[in-house]
Amino acid sequence: MNRLWKEFSKGLWNELPPFKVVLGLCPVLAVTKTADNGFGMGLAVIFVLTLSNMLVSSVRKVIPAKVRIACFIVIAASLVVCVELLMQAFAYPLYQQLGIFVPLIVVNCIILGRAEAFASKNPITYAIADGLGMGIGFAMSLTVLGAIREIFGYGTLFGVQILGSWFKPFTFMVEAPGAFVCLGLGLAGMNALTNWQRRLKGLDAIEGPKHDCASCGMCNIK
Amino acid sequence: MDYFVLIIAAIFVNNIVLAQYLGNCPFIGTSKETGVAMGMGFAVVFVATMAAAITWVVQRFLLVPNDLGYLQTIAFILVIASLVQFVEMFLKKAIPPLYKSLGIFLPLITTNCAVLGIAIICQRKQFSLLETVVFSIASGVGFLLALVVLAAIRERLEMARIPQSIQGTPIALILAGLMSLAFFAFKGMTS
Amino acid sequence: MIATSILVLFGIGFTAAVILAAASKVLYVYEDPRIAQVEAVLAGANCGGCGFPGCNAAAVGVVAGKAGSDVCVIGGPAVMANVAKVMGLELTEMEPKLAFVDCTGGERAEDVYLYEGVQDCRAQHQLYKGSKMCPEGCLGFGTCVRACPFDAIRMGPNGYPVVNPERCVACGSCAIVCPRNVISINGFTDDITHLNEINDCLAPCRQRCPGQINIPRYIEQASRGDYAGALETIRERIPMPLSIGRVCPRPCETECRRQHVEAPVGINMIKRYVADWEMNSGQRLPISCKPDNGRKVAIVGGGPAGISCAFYLRRLGYRPTIFELMPKLGGQLRYGIPEYRLPKEVLNWEIQGILDLGIGVRVQIKFGRDFTVKTLAEEGFEATFLAFGAWANAQIPIEGDDARGIASGTEFLTKVGLGVETGIGKKVVVIGGGNTAIDAARTSIRFGADVTMVYRRSRNEMPANDEEIADAEEEGVKYQFLAAPNRFIKDKQGRVTHLEYTQMKLGKPDASGRRRPVPIKGSEHLIECDTVYMAIGQKPEIECLYDTRGGCPLETTRWRTVEANPATLQTAIPNVFVGGDLFTGPDLVITALGAGRKAARSIHQYLTTGHIEVPDNLQRTMIPYTIFKDVERVAPIERTQMPHLHHGEERTCTFVEVEGAISDDEFKKETCRCMRCGLTCYNRTEPLQEEVSETSKNM
Repeated sequence: MNRLWKEFSKGLWNELPPFKVVLGLCPVLAVTKTADNGFGMGLAVIFVLTLSNMLVSSVRKVIPAKVRIACFIVIAASLVVCVELLMQAFAYPLYQQLGIFVPLIVVNCIILGRAEAFASKNPITYAIADGLGMGIGFAMSLTVLGAIREIFGYGTLFGVQILGSWFKPFTFMVEAPGAFVCLGLGLAGMNALTNWQRRLKGLDAIEGPKHDCASCGMCNIK
Repeated sequence: MDYFVLIIAAIFVNNIVLAQYLGNCPFIGTSKETGVAMGMGFAVVFVATMAAAITWVVQRFLLVPNDLGYLQTIAFILVIASLVQFVEMFLKKAIPPLYKSLGIFLPLITTNCAVLGIAIICQRKQFSLLETVVFSIASGVGFLLALVVLAAIRERLEMARIPQSIQGTPIALILAGLMSLAFFAFKGMTS
Repeated sequence: MIATSILVLFGIGFTAAVILAAASKVLYVYEDPRIAQVEAVLAGANCGGCGFPGCNAAAVGVVAGKAGSDVCVIGGPAVMANVAKVMGLELTEMEPKLAFVDCTGGERAEDVYLYEGVQDCRAQHQLYKGSKMCPEGCLGFGTCVRACPFDAIRMGPNGYPVVNPERCVACGSCAIVCPRNVISINGFTDDITHLNEINDCLAPCRQRCPGQINIPRYIEQASRGDYAGALETIRERIPMPLSIGRVCPRPCETECRRQHVEAPVGINMIKRYVADWEMNSGQRLPISCKPDNGRKVAIVGGGPAGISCAFYLRRLGYRPTIFELMPKLGGQLRYGIPEYRLPKEVLNWEIQGILDLGIGVRVQIKFGRDFTVKTLAEEGFEATFLAFGAWANAQIPIEGDDARGIASGTEFLTKVGLGVETGIGKKVVVIGGGNTAIDAARTSIRFGADVTMVYRRSRNEMPANDEEIADAEEEGVKYQFLAAPNRFIKDKQGRVTHLEYTQMKLGKPDASGRRRPVPIKGSEHLIECDTVYMAIGQKPEIECLYDTRGGCPLETTRWRTVEANPATLQTAIPNVFVGGDLFTGPDLVITALGAGRKAARSIHQYLTTGHIEVPDNLQRTMIPYTIFKDVERVAPIERTQMPHLHHGEERTCTFVEVEGAISDDEFKKETCRCMRCGLTCYNRTEPLQEEVSETSKNM
């Protein structure tokens, strides 16, 4: 149980995507115009990530190493198709909002990265815990980022007006440049926080997580 | 459709990275050196064009007649993954010099959402085959442009003193934001 | 509907699988499976220290045979053993390497502009190639310190980086980022095979020294009391500090920057002091050599060039054998330079130390008669170094030169060296003005003869050292300048009785820049003599190179020297190298020692790679911008004089060494006189910074 909690909770803070593990940047940038978009995307990712981790882990001993990446992609793609169909049925406006980023969950590094780095090596219960934790962490980040952009960009939160009529919307935030800058500052803030904590413990400051394609584990495709 | 407008729109106005948020992982990941950025950029142009053309054929002649539009995602990713692997093998055998300069980036491209994204955008906009090819080449060039420019800036920044917390990915993202702001100036050039 | 979707998906998957399966067969490119295996055992740091772009490329290089099992510089012996295991290779010994900082300037180098930009060497280098006056020196922003992944570099107190050898793994990161190429990754082989390059930190003395000794460094070590370190530095370039410390005419001192303050530093007396210290300590310092690799190289001629070449080949792991015609090694050092300048005991001690490293010797064996290049090859010698010197005497064909009592200066000196009867008379005339002539004259004095030197130009044109000319005069040698020998007059027994000469006067300068003597009509004079030594130049004896049919596989020049590539000393036969006087004509001992090392470098590269590398930035002449006369803010200190051990009468009848060693105090003073010059920088008595701050105050 102890380990199960550890695998679950690491995604919530210690390895919080995309701030501590820089993965899956496209949806982070694209769908965080508003908090509910971010939250919706987060839910979709939780669904796909948990199930794909579960499936990958359960078939990990059957799949030959050479074609494992192809199999992971097929599993992820099938799940994404399910999500697409579900969204079309039950949350069509959200599906419209998210646009092509729903099908693009397939190629989100976080899905394949977790499959390759964790699920393919660990038993099914841990894999589910990991997927769930990472998914919730990702959803959290998306929601918070979306909330910040929404407040400054529209003056609303989850569609509810929270700033008075005196507020002039800061459109920069909801456009592409704002997305990049927000994420950049968010990462910087996270690094500063980590280093501040380290300094309290009397440790040297460290460099923040690097975005490396290697961190998605996909470079091993052969 | 005016192809010129299509090209300008794809490269500048709706730049695949800076306006459409596609392909950000390699955009940040491979923009540390201009040489690497060039290689990656050309690899994307090449693969995106081929992928868009083939997926167009798959969509038009396999999925649509059978009324299987919902299989688009899974079919496309299968086709793209196979294509990338095939191209890699082909280049290795037939054109080793090209393989040496582009080949190492090919595995990265399978998960590059720009490639899948371009293919899907082409379908959603219901382009003809020719339009698809032109659009995907132009989008690829847009990606190349953004990537090389960012890499050039980051090379210069190597020497600058940046506060510790902002070093690395954060500053790259902020730079990308500024570039994106610059590309905003193209907005409204085409309808 | 479900059926169609399954069918379509299956169809796509199946088609793709079939195409890929077919493609993998058709387009299969063989890749050595060992590449993956090697890559798996490498350190995986992708540091690039091995010279390949990343570990994968290094693995490809190893499998392609471009690198050995020692490819990984940071992995250490464990990785090496694993690579060797994968490759089935013999374990080659890995030479430890370290980052080496060439610059000694740092804060001493003057700034040409005030820089307040980004504190990074590469950034500053883009602005007019940096702010330092010296175009090769360290800029001092510590970019290398930041680049070092192992925290092995720190900025030293003098404004240039200092490497911590304990931590350095020679990965090369620092060398890559340095825009000035100040840092290089050097191992033992690089240290002893390096030739001066124009972007090295070359003080004028280092540029001038034909042996390329790192003079400022050994003086610096000596001044700290690290005599062993100083000797090690000297032995990176020449093997015989004891002998050179006594006989060198010191070309380095002619370029010493200190001469523009008061007088040049006594470079050679410092060298002699530390070498004497070793000899007098009674214990030989260890000389590091690589383990024997069993490859044999023949050295023909046991003079300075041959000994030097053998010494460096042995240190590089080869098995050299010296072939010498005379009964003992040493060449001109033994048979040309008299006892009172270089005692045989000293020479023997020095040569023995070199031979003890494991160098084979065969004496009294003549090249061309007892063995040839061909028989050497048959015996298993993979390369040959020819350095049998210039022993034939130049002759002036004048009337009566067949008279008894006329001999060449070298012949006389050789006989003295061998200890056989010389047949010297009471009244000796020495013809010539070089060091050999002086040696012959001073030796004759010691046999109790009355000696006159006849030279056809004036004292200023004499090629011999000024001090030696003065010493000879002090010992009683008479000079007859501007005298051109006409003929010898002999008596009935055929023995020479007089030399007739014509008095000359100096005319216009000739091609060599010396004023040409022209005869004064009707000014013939006679000098009485019973012995004449001619010392008017030597040239190589190259008859031994010709085979019985008169063919010579090597090209020779009109000065009867052997033609070779001056940068590599390689002759027309690729595995035959040449050096010393045989290549240059009569020249200095230090030149021969330098040539020996250069040949050893060429032979090493030729035998390991088949190709001799010649850097295109080799320093060949003095570098113009490093030669200047305004040496400012240096307090003068008087130069030490070499003490003479004997005086007057006593000196002229003994062969005991004339020049003594300097005292400890004098030695300390002399080492302090060295200004540790770099290309443009030097130590000032008053620091540079003060003036800068003053001028800025004035502004």
